[in-house]
Amino acid sequence: LFLGYFITMNSVGEACTDLKREYDQCFNRWFAEHFLKGDRSGDPCTETFRKYQRCVQKAIKEKDIPIDGVEFMGPNKDKPDS
Amino acid sequence: MMKIWSTEHVFSYPWETVIKAAMRKYPNPMNPNVVGVDVLDRSLDAEGRLHSHRLLSTEWGLPGIVRAILGTNQTQTYVKEHSIVDREEKKMELCSTNITLTNLISVDERLVYTPHPENPEVTVLTQEAIITVKGVSLSSYLEGMMVRSMSANARKGWDAIEWIIQNSERENHPLCDIY
Repeated sequence: LFLGYFITMNSVGEACTDLKREYDQCFNRWFAEHFLKGDRSGDPCTETFRKYQRCVQKAIKEKDIPIDGVEFMGPNKDKPDS
Repeated sequence: MMKIWSTEHVFSYPWETVIKAAMRKYPNPMNPNVVGVDVLDRSLDAEGRLHSHRLLSTEWGLPGIVRAILGTNQTQTYVKEHSIVDREEKKMELCSTNITLTNLISVDERLVYTPHPENPEVTVLTQEAIITVKGVSLSSYLEGMMVRSMSANARKGWDAIEWIIQNSERENHPLCDIY
């Protein structure tokens, strides 16, 4: 059951799920073992990421998901008065 | 009409442990409504902070009556998320907003994870959300309902982080050595 949860997270494009897992695995390792430990070099996953990203961009277009033109609540935007 | 909601939670783990879990929060059993997560863009800025833009595919568990009022059967909703991990300052900041159903409702959320100022062994998560329901009567009723569901979801999110942490610990120390 435990392993199942790590295997079943999908990509928005069904065809991209394998690429996504390959990339996530590479990234998570770099993040924990290099980035958080203060290593300033970038992640070694760029090649996998490029392939994965191409696949996702295609899926986003096919499904007509409006990821562009969104007014995003960025971290630097002033906080609303509460 | 809009409602602002906020809360705070303390994890009994150091910042690094919590951040590692937060970065791989999905999938987890507490948020089965998140059905897909994709990284759209990721980069280090000049200060060495890690920026991630992600797309979350979610199934909103909106009650039938809410769907009826909103007049939609669409349950698949997409959320865009931008996170920044600053390991020098030990701060992770995450903002998200829905990018579909925006003509009906918007949920903007901001989460910040930092070490507790007096105890570096524990981590504080502050969380706030702005919920706006547009152009329907009963909107304040709906907003109240969304705020209650935010609180329930926040609790699930904390449980999820704890769950990830405990399960990664187990990963490092298997109960049985089968190899």
